[in-house]
Amino acid sequence: MNKKEIITGIVVLLLVSLLSGYLLSWLYGATRPRIDEQKKIEAARINREIFPEAASFSDVTSEDSMTFVKVFNAEGNAVGRVFDIFPAGYGGPIEAKVGIDKELRVKGARILSHTETPGLGSKITGMGFLDQFKEKAGTSLYLKKDNPEGTVDAITGATISSRAVADGIRKLQEKLSGAEK
Amino acid sequence: MKQLIDFRSFYAGIWKENPIFFIMLGLCPLLAVSASLKDALGMGAAFMFVLAGSNITVSCIRRWVPSHIRIPVFIVVIATFVTVVDYSMAAFLPPLHRNLGVYLPLMVVNCILLGRAEAFASKNNIINSALDGLGMGLGFTLAILVIAAIREIPGQGTVFGINILGKNYTPFLIMIMPPGAFLVIGFLMALKNRIGRKNKC
Repeated sequence: MNKKEIITGIVVLLLVSLLSGYLLSWLYGATRPRIDEQKKIEAARINREIFPEAASFSDVTSEDSMTFVKVFNAEGNAVGRVFDIFPAGYGGPIEAKVGIDKELRVKGARILSHTETPGLGSKITGMGFLDQFKEKAGTSLYLKKDNPEGTVDAITGATISSRAVADGIRKLQEKLSGAEK
Repeated sequence: MKQLIDFRSFYAGIWKENPIFFIMLGLCPLLAVSASLKDALGMGAAFMFVLAGSNITVSCIRRWVPSHIRIPVFIVVIATFVTVVDYSMAAFLPPLHRNLGVYLPLMVVNCILLGRAEAFASKNNIINSALDGLGMGLGFTLAILVIAAIREIPGQGTVFGINILGKNYTPFLIMIMPPGAFLVIGFLMALKNRIGRKNKC
């Protein structure tokens, strides 16, 4: 390979990469607002599902390494918060939202994204499982098989995924109520 | 040398040179996202767009790309188109984007894309390269749809998410789990070989 071939090679590859980089940075700028907006819409829809009676939600705030939005009723009083939690599941992190009411009980939970086994662990997204956490606090948030005071039934064949969600919610609740060990 | 417009480059990809059943490349997305028809259709469409786009671009620049750097140039072209699909899908079809997950950006390293750029687009004119990309993309889409149908109907009792087998149907779980994809592809390959042999006799 002579010098000229090497230089043409470098120049062509550089030009192609530059062009591609330019195109993609333009596209990134054009689609980013919409992608963020879609994520916000999705998050707002889930907040609303967890607190259907709420009048308004605050912007996302961070405090004490927790991310949450505050929930207000029609009179403008805070009635609870919706937290983002990321417990480690069987196949990777599970992204979930957990609503906690004023009395620090679980108001509701939703799974945003996960990589659990399809057909087994993926059932953690089902309301049959998630509704078990409603109105509960403290040790009753354990899986039945993990703690005698636990009240949550694990999904058959998906104990690790179920435990990940239950522990994630319980730890959040305990942290808030100051019962953290 | 091929004619200016040769429709055989389009038809070839659909059956005779089907990327899945005959060339047997690009099996990764096929295994990963064929558990439901909706995802399969989305993946197929994304694939077709990227394949046609990269084929056209490679064919356009084929005269200026020295042969010793052609592979990195092709990869940059493919990566560009994959990223275009990735961003657009995240912006306009977020549920589908979420379902395809990591398999969408993984298209960059899919052998079919590089294979067609190298074996076809770098040697043929723009129109034929576009036809080849569309044909191969369609062949891939049809193959992944067939596999998704065979997996989704027994595996979830649904077609495009609509329940057809009734509430009391107990899903045949293995079909929507990874082994199901291997089983279906294995049986389809066997069937294809059987048909191929019959034609020869």
